[in-house]
Order: sequence, then structure tokens, then C-alpha cells
Amino acid sequence: MPRNGKLVRIACVLAAAAVLAAVAVAAAGAAGAKRSGGALVGAGSSLVAPAVQGVWGPAYQSKTGVGIQYSAVGSGAGIAQITARTVDFGASDAPMTPDQARHCHGCIEIPWALAATGPIENIPGVNGLQLHLTGATLAKIYLGQITNWSDPALKRLNPKLKLPNHSITTVHRSDGSGDTYAFTDYLSKVSKTWASEIGKSTSVNWPAGGVGGKGNSGVAQVVNSTPYSIGYVSTAYVIQNHLHMVRLQNAAGNYTYPSVKSIESAAQLVKRVPANTVISITDPPASHKYRNAWPISTFTYAIVPTKSAKATELRDFIGWALGAKQQKAIQHYVFAPLPALVAKVAHNRLKKIHS
Amino acid sequence: MSTIDTTGTAARRPFTGRRVRPGDLVLQGTAGLAALGAAVLLGLVVYKVVEGSRLALSTLCLGFLAHIGWDPVHSHFGAGSFLFGTAVTSIGALLLATPLALGIALFLTELAPSWIRAPVTALVETLAAIPSVVIGLWGIIVLGPLLRDHVMPALHSTLGFIPLFGTPNPSGLGLFTAIVVLTIMILPIIASISRELFLGVPPELKEAALGLGTTRWEMVRGVILPYTRGGVAAAMILGLGRAVGEAIAVAQVAGGIDNLVSWNLFNGGNTLAGKLALEFQSSTSNLETSGLFYLALILLVFSLVVNVFARSVVRRVARRQGLLVR
Amino acid sequence: MSAAELSALQRPSDRLRRRQAVNRGMELLAWLAAAAAVAILGVVVSSVAKRGASELNLDLLTKAPVPFAIGSVKQGLVNAFTGSLVIVGLATAMTLPVGILVAIYVNEFAPRRIRNGLGLVIDVLAGIPAIVVGIFVFGLVVLGHGQSALAGSFALAVLMLPFVARATIEVLALVPDSLREAALGLGAPRWRTTLGIVLPQTVGGIVTGGVLAVARVAGETAPLLFTSSVGVSNGADWNPLHALQTVPVAIFELSESDNTGDHARAWAAAFVLLMFILLTSLSARWLANRSRRKLARGVR
Repeated sequence: MPRNGKLVRIACVLAAAAVLAAVAVAAAGAAGAKRSGGALVGAGSSLVAPAVQGVWGPAYQSKTGVGIQYSAVGSGAGIAQITARTVDFGASDAPMTPDQARHCHGCIEIPWALAATGPIENIPGVNGLQLHLTGATLAKIYLGQITNWSDPALKRLNPKLKLPNHSITTVHRSDGSGDTYAFTDYLSKVSKTWASEIGKSTSVNWPAGGVGGKGNSGVAQVVNSTPYSIGYVSTAYVIQNHLHMVRLQNAAGNYTYPSVKSIESAAQLVKRVPANTVISITDPPASHKYRNAWPISTFTYAIVPTKSAKATELRDFIGWALGAKQQKAIQHYVFAPLPALVAKVAHNRLKKIHS
Repeated sequence: MSTIDTTGTAARRPFTGRRVRPGDLVLQGTAGLAALGAAVLLGLVVYKVVEGSRLALSTLCLGFLAHIGWDPVHSHFGAGSFLFGTAVTSIGALLLATPLALGIALFLTELAPSWIRAPVTALVETLAAIPSVVIGLWGIIVLGPLLRDHVMPALHSTLGFIPLFGTPNPSGLGLFTAIVVLTIMILPIIASISRELFLGVPPELKEAALGLGTTRWEMVRGVILPYTRGGVAAAMILGLGRAVGEAIAVAQVAGGIDNLVSWNLFNGGNTLAGKLALEFQSSTSNLETSGLFYLALILLVFSLVVNVFARSVVRRVARRQGLLVR
Repeated sequence: MSAAELSALQRPSDRLRRRQAVNRGMELLAWLAAAAAVAILGVVVSSVAKRGASELNLDLLTKAPVPFAIGSVKQGLVNAFTGSLVIVGLATAMTLPVGILVAIYVNEFAPRRIRNGLGLVIDVLAGIPAIVVGIFVFGLVVLGHGQSALAGSFALAVLMLPFVARATIEVLALVPDSLREAALGLGAPRWRTTLGIVLPQTVGGIVTGGVLAVARVAGETAPLLFTSSVGVSNGADWNPLHALQTVPVAIFELSESDNTGDHARAWAAAFVLLMFILLTSLSARWLANRSRRKLARGVR
């Protein structure tokens, strides 16, 4: 061995130590936790994230010791993650497309929360709940047909509001999003042009530019830092970040905003839950029953494989979340409790999960 | 940047003994296996990306490259806006970064007093060390508002007749912001490589020119730049490659718009890499997933071409000068 | 020669004056370019340093994140820091042996054609964008098996491999052949020579290459997005079979938030990350100088 052996010896010792450490970490970690020893890992919708991460997760952990690890990567990514079996459960506000359902190989969608998406604005001088819009004008704004806040169509809806002469910046989600699905579902119903040209999906070909934000928090950030902009976020983020909500005119002619009551009103629309779980409650019809309904309400689903190693833990957790007490616990994030009919279907579907 | 010097002397083959020990076989076998593994790895990467894009290649073919817009609802996918975004942002960044980088390199080698050299060099190296996500964070929080409130309106009012500087984007995010961010990212690469190249110019050549009565600029133009021409070109190509492949910082500041191709740099947009970072897992259909792989394929092909090209330029330069270019 | 003619010879001609003016103009441009570049660099670096240092606190390294916290709750990013340590550590452990073996093969055993080919392979591998590597590892490892820190480490290892291989090849080439011939002449088998005599000479260079590779990948976000990004554990998690959160991905997610508290933690994490990368780069440079001096001194 050459004389400069000291450096060599040190390097060899360090290298051996590093390899040993790596192996030890791997072994200890692997042995000690057995795939997180009871923790459930989920990913997906950022709409349901305040419920899962903010309320249910900590409560369930202190009750049972089972941790809930959740990543709000967007409904689209949530579906992809559960398809790849990268997580124990996915979460999405948009029902799976036939292609996605096929690729998931026997996944079931369990509606487990009821919430809303709503437009938000950042017009200097206009406070929250002051701006009134109809579905048609909202669609026209996002279609690029109404481009300035001083447009006469907007003035007509807001006679008492001083709307500035400034071009409108529309903000949308740049990632695959269940909020986008609900929003475009609503726009497709109130605008024939939207339905034929754009359609509804977790990700659409947005007309006329605008800006994209990643996640509900990204959209909130962009709207907050862009004067004269309009966007859409799930209502929990409005509460959290003090954003300015917009009042929409529902089919019955009333200007409503997202609240537990207005969401519950819209949810009456569900009469049955089909196999593909497409239970759209946007734009309820113009009848007395729905006079106070919020027109962009949406269910959100947990997506679980029928055959899972964690079947028991999943059944326990989701069953617990479906309970009346847990549904009430998330109300301050503007989640309405599940209607009885939907909750029953959810419980039935839960029984199908086995290991 | 460095390239394997495979033009070494033949004298590196001293082992010509005929006796083959088992230990030799083991070492050669293991090492050979590792080398084979590296080659297989490269092949696997290419294979996986091609395999993933096969559906899109057969369904959308070459029209994909020109179509603008990403429409999962009607299954109309096109790389047009991403190719545009990638081209605009990376070429724009290269155009902005190269003169600044060469300026700094010349400054450090020719003009700077000795007490400035070390700190400025350290500054350049520090910038090179900043990860792209941090520059993106800075871009969202600091640069975006700065551009939105001051730079973009100023550019629009003074140079607004050029279509590049159209109506400013009120959000501060867009292709222009992405260009600035990418410039900051590739500036240190080009600057540090150019600086080393300039330092490698033989002093005799420089002194000869000066001795003939040239001014310093004439010496730079006549001796340093031509001498390092190949290396600087390679550095620029590498910077371009870096800008093209950058996914995270672009996803943070470019504005996430998939269907706009316009002259106005202030508009939002997206690049190949940025689109992949934002949407790779959110596909709603097989075709969309395959389309995303198609985007990855374009990105991969481009970076392969860039790399092989840069490598051949470096080899030509190294052979000509007998240097090992670092 | 008259006095007028003499002074005419000594006066700079018009042409010379023009050339000197151009020279001064160019020098000014160079100073300006340098000043602009230094200003930009300075602004970015000081911005990151100032905001990061001001938000730095011990909670960042000890407490777990609390998403959707109501009011101000003490939270941190301990899971991201431990996850990064695990992933980068595993990636290094994966890359070093393979990189060294590849370099040994290229430098000691390969015939010329294969050597050129492998050189090309390594350079091409170095040029693959990080996001494509992430997509590749997702398709290869994650689909059907789930995300894990191991998958993330593998993605980082693919990025590190060319660096380690290149650095090792270069230092191996610097070892003089006289050393190998002397060993051969003394009857040592080839494997013994390579491992016992040639390789120890290059340890400094290998360590430098490894450290530089670590500095390079410590801040990489793209390859981890699809391989190890859904781990938001409630505390430090060291299990490589889980998907662990990492510092760059955490910064990425926090940067898209609307919350100033989130931004503060993002800046603090960015500062720590930057310090780590700078320290590793500096130590790599110090090691490189040291081993270069050693080799220049010759074999002992």
C-alpha cells in the first residue's frame, strides 16, 4: 500500500460506515414499521384536504393511533396514484372516466364528503360577496367574450357597484382538478357554447389565455396577487385565506353563495347513485325546493381498491368518517353532511372492500 | 462540463501478460457488468419513453407537433404551444445570458483587479449552486411582483410597438418571467466555463498581440475569442440544454397556459418540461398519458441531440488544442 | 526632422484614437455586463439568504408539518429533512460502487472502441433532463408497486452516475502507467494492481466526484415528483420503503401556497438546502485541490 495510506484508510472507513449506515437504516426502517404499521396513505383532491388533513386525520390518530398521511396533489393525480397502487386510497371530486375506471382494476368510489367550489374575485374596491354574476356571464367571462370589468352586461347585474374599466384576468387550475370538473360541469349546463366547445373534465382546453395555478392554494395565490382577476377555489380555501366570494344567481333566480345550507339544498338533487357514481348536483333546477341552492356544489369521493391489504383499516377509517359526528366536525370548512341516501350507498360500497 | 478524454495515448495498455488470474476475471467481469448496466440503463430510458408514447405516435403522428392546445375532453392533443414555449424561453434565456456571461468571464480574466476576482467568482459559483426550486420560489414571491409592477409596464410603454412587449400580464407570471428565471439559471454555467476557457488561452498569444500594438479589445476579439470559440459554443449549447430541460422553475413561473401561441412575451405559457411536471399524473385517458410520453420523447430526443453535438464540438476543440477541456 | 514633424509623429493618429475609443467603449461594456451580472447574482443570493435566514428557527428541523392549521401553530419540516437525508444517502450508496466499477472498466479494461462508446453513453446519460428520469423511474418501478424513497433514490442515482463515473475516469487516467508497470513487473496480478495500487491514488478524486454529485442532486425536485412525493408523515420517518417527503418537493409545494406562514417555511428550508449544497461544493473543491497537489507531488 502506498504511503499516503492515511487518507485511503479514512476514506475506506467512511465508505464502509456509510454503506453500513444505509443498510442499517433500510433494515431498521423496513423491519420496524411494516409498511407504516397501520398508517393509511392517501393522495388526491385538494378540495377534501382540509377535511382529511385538518380534521379527520388528527382526530382519527388520537382515537385509534392509526396515522393518516395525505397529499393534496389534485384529483387527477389522486386517481393516477391509486391506479398505480402507490397509495392506500385516492381522493377525487371528479368521478373516474371509463378509461380510468378500467385501468384502476376494480376500484370503487365512495362519496364521503359534500362541498362546493365557488368563483372568487380580486377587484380593488370590491369586497367579498358584493359582486353578482349569473352563470351565463361567468361562462362568457371564461370564454373570453366578456373581457373588461366595465362591460355593460356586468354593470346590469351590479348597478350599485362601481366596476372599474380594466381587463379581466381569468385564473384556472393548471393541474388535473376535481374543482375544474365541478366548475366546467356547471358552465356546460349554463352555456351551450361552453358545452359544445370546451366540455367538462378535470383538465380542459381553457379558451383565451388567463393564468394557471397549481392546486387550490396556487389559484388562491395567483388571484390574491393579481388585481382584477377572477378564479375558482373550493370554499374551504376561501375561509382559510379570506378571499372574496362572488354571488351566483341560481336557476331559481336568487343570488347565493356557498354555505352549508346552500350546499345541502343543492344536494337534494340526488335521487339515486348510479354505478359510475356520476352524481352531478350542479345547477339545480328552478323550483321552490332549490331556491337557496348553491349551483356549484360537488360530492367528493374516496377511491379504494376492492382488494387491498389494508381493507380493514380502510373500512374502519372511511366508515368512521361517514359517521354523523365526523360529517359535522368538518362543517366549519363549509362541508355539508352527506344526504342519507348517499351515505347509505357509501356504507354499502364500503362493505365490498376485502383483503 | 467535461468529456471523457478517449483520445488518450496507447501506452495505457501495459498489461500484456498472458497469465489470467481468477481475480482478474472477477474484477473485469464485475466492472464490465457495471459498464453494461450503464449502457442498458440508457437503452431502458429511451425504450420506456418510446413505449409510453407509442399510442400517441400512432394516433396523432406528426400532426401532434403542430397542433396547439391540450384538450382532454375532445382528445385533441398538441405539442405546438409547448414547443413554442420551450423555444421562446430557452432561446430568450440564451440570448440574454450569453453576453452577460461572456462579459463577466472577460471581466474576471482581463479587467478585474485581483481583489475583486475571488469574491465575484465565488458569487457566480454560489448562483450555480442554487437549486431550481429555490429560484422558482424567488421568482414567484420576489421577481413576479417586481416584473408585474415595474418592469413589464415600463417595457410596454417604451417598447410596446414591438409585438414582443404587448400587454403586460397582471399576474406577473408568464413567458417573460420564465425567460428571466432561466437566464439566471444558465448564466453561471456559461460564465464559469467561459472563464476557465479564457484562462486557458496561452499568455504568449495574448502578449504577442499586445506587443504588436493592439488595444485590449482587439486582443480579445482577435486572440481570446477565436481561440475559445469552440468551447464557448459548447458552453452555450450546454446552457441551452439546461434551459430546455428545466421543469420545476418553469412550472412555478410560466403561468401554466397550454394553448396560447402569440408574440407577446408577457403572456402566460408553458414548456415541454413544465407541462410534464404539472400534469404527468393527471391524465384522464390512455391517449393523454401517451401524449405526455410523446412530449417526454421530444424532450429526450432534443437533449440527446444537444449533448452529442456539444460533445463533438468539445472533442474537435480538444483535439485541435491538445487540451483536456474541463 | 523639424519640431513640427517630430511632434506629428508622437501625436496619436486619428485611426489610433478611434481604436482606443473603441477599446474604452468595449471595456466599459464589459464592466457594465459584469456589474449587471453581479447585481443580478447579488440580488438573488442576498434575497434567498436574507429571507431564509430571517425565517430560520429550530422548529423547522424538529417539528412536523401541520396542514390547515387554524391560528399559528408551531410547525416545521422535520419529515422533509429526514426524508432528504435518507434518499440522498441511499442514492449515493447506490451510485458510488457502480460508478467506480464503470470507470475501472472504461479506463483499465475496455478496448478503444468500447471506451469511446461508453464515454458517449455516460455523456448522454448526463444530459437526460431530470423530469424524464423521474418519468422513467415512475414507469419502471412505481407503477404497480407504489412510490417509495427507494424509487426516489434510484432516480437520483441515475442522475448522479455520470458525475461519479466521469470524475473517477479522469482521476484514474491521471495515475501514471509507470505505477501499473512497476506492479506488473513485481508480479502483482491485474486485479490487485487496480484495486490496491491504482485505486487508492484516486480516492481523493472519487470522493470529490461523489461530493459534487451529492451537491448536484440534493436540490433536485423533478425526479422526486413522481417517485416519492406523497409522503406527508406526522414526524420524522426513516423507512426507505415509504414515500418520504423531501426538502425540494416540500419547497415546491409550499411555494404554490397562499399562506405567508408556508412561504416563511419555504424560505427557511431553501436557506438550509442552499447552505448544505454550498458546504458540499466547497468541501469538494478543497478535496480536489488537495488530491491534485498530491498527485502533482508524485507517487510516494
